[in-house]
Amino acid sequence: MKRTVDVSVPLGPIHPCFKEPARVKCETKGEYVLSAEVELGYMKKGIERIMRGRPWQEVMFLAERVCGICSVIHNMVFIEALEQISAISVPERAALLRVIANELDRMQSHILANFSYCYTIEHETLGMYLLDVRERVMDELERITGARVTCAYIVPGGVRFDIRSQDVLHLRANLAAIEGEVTRYMRMFESGPLIGLRSKGVGILTREAALEAYAVGPTARASGMPDIDRRLRHPTYKTLGFTPVSRTEGDNYARIMVRFQEVLESIAIIRRCLDLLPVGPIRGGGIPGIGEIAYSGEAPRGELSYYIKTDAAGRVVDISIQTPSIMNIEACCHYMLKGVPSLADVSSTFVSADPCIACTER
Amino acid sequence: MTGFLYEKDLSAMKYVILTSTRHDRMVREIAAELDIPQIKLRKWMLDHFDMMLLENLPARYAQGKIARESETPVEKDLGAGLYTRAIPLLNWSEMERIKGEVYTLIREGKTENEAVMEGRNMIRDVIQ
Amino acid sequence: MNVLQSVKNLVRSKSIHVAYVDVGSCNGCDIEVLACLSPRYDIEQYGIYVHNNPREADILLVIGAYTPGWEEKLHTLWEKIPDPKVAIAVGNCPISGCLFNRPHSLIDPPVSKHIPISAEVPGCPPRPTEILTAVLSVAPIVFKDYEVSKR
Repeated sequence: MKRTVDVSVPLGPIHPCFKEPARVKCETKGEYVLSAEVELGYMKKGIERIMRGRPWQEVMFLAERVCGICSVIHNMVFIEALEQISAISVPERAALLRVIANELDRMQSHILANFSYCYTIEHETLGMYLLDVRERVMDELERITGARVTCAYIVPGGVRFDIRSQDVLHLRANLAAIEGEVTRYMRMFESGPLIGLRSKGVGILTREAALEAYAVGPTARASGMPDIDRRLRHPTYKTLGFTPVSRTEGDNYARIMVRFQEVLESIAIIRRCLDLLPVGPIRGGGIPGIGEIAYSGEAPRGELSYYIKTDAAGRVVDISIQTPSIMNIEACCHYMLKGVPSLADVSSTFVSADPCIACTER
Repeated sequence: MTGFLYEKDLSAMKYVILTSTRHDRMVREIAAELDIPQIKLRKWMLDHFDMMLLENLPARYAQGKIARESETPVEKDLGAGLYTRAIPLLNWSEMERIKGEVYTLIREGKTENEAVMEGRNMIRDVIQ
Repeated sequence: MNVLQSVKNLVRSKSIHVAYVDVGSCNGCDIEVLACLSPRYDIEQYGIYVHNNPREADILLVIGAYTPGWEEKLHTLWEKIPDPKVAIAVGNCPISGCLFNRPHSLIDPPVSKHIPISAEVPGCPPRPTEILTAVLSVAPIVFKDYEVSKR
């Protein structure tokens, strides 16, 4: 009698498709994945433990280095939480500049995620096109903030540098180019028959499962939950008036398409910011003081929330960071990977959730 | 000789995850509600959950508490959804059995409060 | 120098295989290594191929400040790489631990305690061009006449 052998297949920690170390252990029946679990511990630096008892000036830089890909939003959420604690107001120009930097960061992060996915399903051409567009976005980010990654652009009461008029021209010109290219690549992705075969109907995350694991960001929005976007509750974003993207399929294809559409949406938001940009100061000033707050913002991967408790000198007494990747990877490994038809789809499904292990473990 | 080539003891790393502020608060709340010593609950979690689930526990707990509000009073007090779906301390069939026994107790004339307390004892027995 | 050696030199100068391993960084250096792949920096025009497979790598890019999960594993990984091999530390983290090297953190920098590091690229994170320059300048020093100099 033929016996079906159930095998546990470990992927990682070093894997050609994973940018970061994580170990995915899949219980399989043949190639059919029955369940999966993730083993971490390769990136645990203990940032929250380092942060405790340090002045905010130091914690600001540590917060930024929780995640190198979405560093602007970590900076923004931490600083805005401090501003909420101490009632520091921000000039309007600075608030809009923050949004611009944040949206540029979101664009590069989404493009990088889509690159990783295309690279994982072996569509290297599209991947390289996307990586090329990403360099344009990085240029703009560097021109405005002064650094490609970890730029520490946002400070309490404002931002570090103003945007010059020639930068605005550059930004508008580059945005037009990026929009054209991303639209083209999005159509390529939409119409590619082999991409469709590898992506459609693979790694489905239902709305119920997304709710249960509390999936956030593009992962949840691809499963039909548009109102999960924290930007809808942000005062500056409210004035810009945008509608979050959402799809209902919940498969790999939907997640990548949501990211493509969000890149285009970010371009529209930046344009609106540039139109509205008033003349005025970029730094109001203010000193963080004593208080306690739980504050959230929308990172490229979803809801990022900080719990901060400070003392009168502005030292961080207690801090806890909940990054979006925690929820998304959990949703990915315990719901999406269940029932994935082949092992080749495990890595692509894992990458489609845009996992960021550095965030997850801190 | 058979042995795992790459497997190593992860409990130290898992414990580090459980010591963050959010996790600590969550463990304290659950331990207080079920009346289990915290150290035992932590140990149980380390033994039964994988690292990703451990990291996600506070978010799931928050979500589970919201979902709990829409349950029937007995199930809400017992945490039927919370301790099976959000924080998988028990599996579904065990929870069904406990719920059944609690409903039987209520039919036999106990007050809801006493019955729920009995139910919590049963949950505690399953965990320990 | 014999003919075989000169053929080896020629081949090695045109095909350098790179693997990267993240031993606990913030991801910033990872994405800068990935940016090297992009058509703008185009790492492949120099004959450098990045495909994260240690068993066929010549150069190992080490990113990040050694976390406890990598005990034993990093050394095993280093032994899997065939000779001649080089490890390059990318970013401040493998060099000093950068700003993570504080009391109560879990890391154990520098990485040179655990595996031999031949070159260091400081920066938080370094630019893609700097990573590229480091790889290009280390490779000929180590790989040229490897068999002769080993003797």
